[in-house]
Order: sequence, then structure tokens, then C-alpha cells
Amino acid sequence: MVKKKCVAMLLAGGQGSRLHSLTTKIAKPAVPFGGKYRIIDFTLSNCTNSGIHTVGVLTQYQPLVLNSYIGIGSAWDLDRRNGGVTVLPPYTEASGVKWYSGTANAIYQNLNYIEQYDPEYVLVLSGDHIYKMDYSNMLDYHIQNEAEATISVIEVPWDEASRFGIMNTNDDLEILEFDEKPAEPKNNLASMGIYIFNWKSLQKYLDQDNLNEESSHDFGKDIIPLFLNEGKRLMAYPFEGYWKDVGTVKSLWEANMDLLAENPGLNLFDHSWRIYSRNPNQPPQYLAASSEVTDSLINEGCVIEGKVSRSVIFQGVSIGTGASVHESVVMPDAVIGKNVTITKAIVPGDITVPDGVTISPADGNEEIILVTQELVEKLRKDVTA
Amino acid sequence: MSRLLGVIDAATVMGGLQDLTLNRSVASIPFAGRYRFIDFVLSNMVNSGVDSVAIFPKHQYRSLMDHIGSGKNWDLDRKRDGLFFFPPYFEPNETTSIGSFSRLEQHIEFFKRSHQDYVVIASSYVIANIDFEEALAEHLIHDYDITEVQHNGKSLEIYVISKALLIELIEGRRRSQFISVSDVVKQPLHNYKIGAYDHKDYTAIIDSIPAYLKHSMDLLRHDVWSRLFTQDRPIYTKVKDEPPTKYSSTAQVSNSMIANGADIRGSVENSIVSRAAKIGQGSKVKNCVVMQKSQIGNDCSLEYVILDKDVRVLDGTSLKGTAEQPLVLRKGSVREAAMVKS
Repeated sequence: MVKKKCVAMLLAGGQGSRLHSLTTKIAKPAVPFGGKYRIIDFTLSNCTNSGIHTVGVLTQYQPLVLNSYIGIGSAWDLDRRNGGVTVLPPYTEASGVKWYSGTANAIYQNLNYIEQYDPEYVLVLSGDHIYKMDYSNMLDYHIQNEAEATISVIEVPWDEASRFGIMNTNDDLEILEFDEKPAEPKNNLASMGIYIFNWKSLQKYLDQDNLNEESSHDFGKDIIPLFLNEGKRLMAYPFEGYWKDVGTVKSLWEANMDLLAENPGLNLFDHSWRIYSRNPNQPPQYLAASSEVTDSLINEGCVIEGKVSRSVIFQGVSIGTGASVHESVVMPDAVIGKNVTITKAIVPGDITVPDGVTISPADGNEEIILVTQELVEKLRKDVTA
Repeated sequence: MSRLLGVIDAATVMGGLQDLTLNRSVASIPFAGRYRFIDFVLSNMVNSGVDSVAIFPKHQYRSLMDHIGSGKNWDLDRKRDGLFFFPPYFEPNETTSIGSFSRLEQHIEFFKRSHQDYVVIASSYVIANIDFEEALAEHLIHDYDITEVQHNGKSLEIYVISKALLIELIEGRRRSQFISVSDVVKQPLHNYKIGAYDHKDYTAIIDSIPAYLKHSMDLLRHDVWSRLFTQDRPIYTKVKDEPPTKYSSTAQVSNSMIANGADIRGSVENSIVSRAAKIGQGSKVKNCVVMQKSQIGNDCSLEYVILDKDVRVLDGTSLKGTAEQPLVLRKGSVREAAMVKS
């Protein structure tokens, strides 16, 4: 194998259980986002745009859709003769199947994969977040600061800091301590789950951690403290810009709505940092004479005959005459019938909402409705009754 | 494995489309918001199971090569068979007639080496969804020598012929004086059995600017696009990775086809808007075709205008053509309000 300077390991096994029915059949990184993408597209595009072309994608939970989606990586220009994208599912050994028991364990079980490229640095990523970031800048920072490990951090509001893994640093952004979801946070720099390690050190501490039966084999909780205990230099890399964990129905909806701002924090139209995805290859969208579309993102293959406002509509969706879709996200190939009213909802792919149905939160309810097949069946009966 | 070999003759020149072919061949004229003419016949071949397609370009084929690339988007980047691009050797007086024997002769090895026994030779500009397997079946049942694909009796300049006869015609062209497959079909005096396969479904041949606009507008009819763009026989094209189209609070769109990556802030009616085009606030675009990356500023009024790629129409400009004489803004040109007033 040709030696690589930096190999990326993308953790994509997340179940995303707080996304409920959206993740019963697919892993969280495969959840549709932004009218055309899946969540993992952002991290994969960041890799390719940062010039990191060797990416191991670690899958575990419901990997079928994700595996076939990634394929040989050509959508992200990661089909490479040397390196490229490699899907790394758990595998069987003579002693039995070893599931990934934690983020660090997932990497530990794939040390062989990294070893074949003999890299100097390993970039550990998560496939759960929406953001644009040039990892090559972070790598430069890591090298300039002669760090053993660098963790990308983002400032979060103080009152939310206890929801995150917090890095306590000195004024030079050297990390002194890692606090996982602290009750009384001492800092507001949250870990983004993006790590750069010197390969030799990482190898050593992963081996050590593997022998520790008490360990939960988690990067934040177990590996970082090992570095700190031995006085290794760990740096926080401050990231400024849009970054969002879309782990709940509400946050997934919010992140979609964020794209509709006049100048969104995350610009999908920036040709210098394109977000790549598997192309559905459908004809252009058709907006009928009866349509009324404002403040929305709509993807190819849609047929819009109703009203759409402040919404994100994925490819192949049809919206019937007299229908009104407001502040909602409609995922691929869903069918919104005639005279349907939908407000503040996420409609998963392939769902058909029958004619005349209304889906809206009760007054004062801030919850976002996740439309399910059961809900649709119930509403269908209500309409016909 | 298909018995058909695909040949796309992309040498055609059409005087009526000159404004759109200054920098490109007829085969690579943009159409329907995200496609090029050639995408239709090429996708038809792929959807008919054809594994091996040779493209014979002649003029201005840089944009065509750029568009087709390795054939990956049509699933034609293959170790065995796949896509072949055969640029012509220089021959000043060479015919542009479809299936030119002298042009095919330059690459006769391709025909001799291919394992397929039949060839579909097609023009590059027919907008349709044709099953060439059906045309081949007709060809075989009636034992024709050459089968011409027609629509309502009009030739689409698409022919099915056995490879053996094609090679015979190519090699005997100096003796026979036939210049092309199309020429053989048109000549009355020979013993070849010429038949016709009628493609009954939607078909458009675009040979002039008014026809270009008319057929673009026809795409807005449900009965047309639902027959042209089917799920089981999709039209493939070069992937561009554009984001979804963004509509602002001032957007007003009616009866229009809009491709990805467009930014719509004005009013659009009965129009085709291509990938990454921009339409500014307060602008009215009616009965127009706006090609890729063209930008219409604020408060413009455009009617019956075809904007080629990368055209910029500056704020406050009014331009008006007619259905019979649409106005064409050439690729990369800039229009400003003052030019119209004077």
C-alpha cells in the first residue's frame, strides 16, 4: 500500500434512536437531510474537499442502506486506486463475532485497516453532524502546535454546556480536562467529535484501553483521559461556523429550516465547497399553474400542484392541488394528496398522505410531528368516517 | 447480452439552430433544464440493453466530449464493450448525411471486432423514448435489410441494419456510389428491402429556433413529460451535484419546469429554467428557456427569449421575442437595459 499522511475513520454506526421511525430501518448517518442529501454526505464531502481521500466508514447498526449508498464512493470522488472509501462493518473472528462496543473499540478493531497505510495522523469523525469544515486546516493546526491529539471544539451557550462533552482548556487552548456532560460546566467549548491523533500514540492508547475491562471504550470518556494522564499535549481546535447534531426530530427539523434563511449558516450553493451525494437522476421539478411556492428548497423529480411555504421537499415528491405544506420536511418519493394540510411536520420517504387529511400540531404545542404509517392509517379512517 | 451495437452519428449541422451551435454540436444543445439532445438517444440505447455505443462526432465536439466523458453516467464505463468516441479524420468535403460510409469506414475495425450482429445507427437529436429492441424485432420478423425508425411516417434518421450488410455497404461504397445509410434508404433503385418501424409515442425533432421553443413549452404538458420521463426508462445525463432549487418569499412560479441549483426570486411562467440559473426579484420571465448558470437580474421582463448558458441580463432589462421568432441570447453574452432603449 502507498503510505498516506492522514487516514480518516468515520464512525457511522449510530442508531439515532431519538429519531424514532426515521431510524428503524436505517442508521442515523443515512437519514435524509436538506432536500437531497443524507447526513453522512456532509462529512464525506468535507473529507474529499479537504483532500483526505482515504476514509474508512465504520458501520454497525442497520448498515444495508448505508453500505449500498456509499458503494465505492464515486459520488464523493472517493473511488481511488490507492485508498478511497472502505466500508468497515464488524466481522467474525475465530473467537466469535465482535460487535463494536464503543467508538474507541470500533477503531481498535480496525487497526489493521489503518496500519496498511502507515499514516502519520488519524482523523476520527462522526457521521452524525451537519457542518462544513476544512480538515486540512485542523491538521495544519495540529502539526504547528506539536500536539499528540487535537479535538475540534465549538462554543456553545453556557446554559446548554451540560448537554455536551466539555473541554476545559488554558488560554492557549491546551486541553487540561475532559468533562462529559458536566452538571456544572467550567467551560463552554464542546467537543464536536472530531479528533486528530498521532497514529503511533493512538495505537498505543487503544491497545492499553482494550486491556482495561472497566473501560467503556469511548474516545471522550476513556481515550482522551489516557493521553491527559501521561501529560501528553492535547489541543482544542476552535471551529467557527454552522455545526448541528441532528439527533432528535426537533433538531433535524430545525436544521432543515435553517437552510431556508436568506443567508443560511450553511450555504449549499457554495461551488467551492460542494456537498456531494448520490444523484437520484430525475427530471427537473414541475410547478403547475395551481402551485404556489415560497421560501422553500425543492429537489428534482417533484410535481408540485399545491402550496408550499417554508419547507424542504426531497426528490420525487408530489404535492396535490389544494394541498398546503408549511414549515415541513417531505422526504423522497412521499405523496401528499389533494387538499392535505401539513404544518410543522416531517414526512418520511415513501409515505402517502391521503386526500383531505390535516396534520398540524395542536395550538401551543411546540413538538414537531413525525408522520408515521400508523398515523396516516388513523387519519385515513377519520377522513372516510 | 444485446445483439445490437449502437452508433450515434453526431455530425449533423442544422442551419436553423445556428444561434445555439456556435460553440457546440447539435448533439450537445441543452434541453429540458438539465439534458443535452444526445442524452435521449443515448439513454434510449442503454435502456434498450445496448452495451456498446460508438459516437461519431464531427464539428465543435469539445462540449460533447466533456458531457459524455467516460460514459459513466450512462453506465457505459465498461471493461468489455462500453462507450467509444471516434473523432473524424480530416476530410473537407465529407457528407453530414446520417450513417456516412466514409466516416464509419475510418473506424471499421470497431465494427469488425464487435460481437454484436446488428447495428442501430441513430441521429443525435431526436427527443423521444424509443425501444430499439422492438425496432430490431420488427426488422427480424419482416426480414428487412434496413429498417427505418419513423414517427407518423416521418423519418427519425434512425436505422437498424445487420452488421454484415453495413460492412458490405461501407466497403463497397466506391462501387455503389451510396454515401450513407440514410442515402441507401432514400434511393429508389436497388434491391435492398427497406422497412419502417413506427415509433408511436411522443417524439420531437428540433430543427429550428421556434421549434426549440415550442418543444420546450410542450414539456410543460403532463401528457408529454410523463411519456418522455418514465421511471423504468429514465433519461440519463451528466451529474452536476447542484443543491435543490431555492425559492424566496417573492418567488411566483406557474406551469414551469425548474432544474436543481436554481435561485428563484421573481416570477416565472410557462418556462424552462436550467441548473444553477438565477432569476432576480421583481423580474417576470414568461415563455422563456433559461439555460444553465444564466442570470437574470432584478426587475427584468423577458418574454419568448431563449437564454443560452452563462448569459447575464442586467437589472431593469426588457426583452421580447415572439413564438414565431424567439429572441436568442448567445452563450456568455450580457444584456443591459440601455441597449434596449436605444
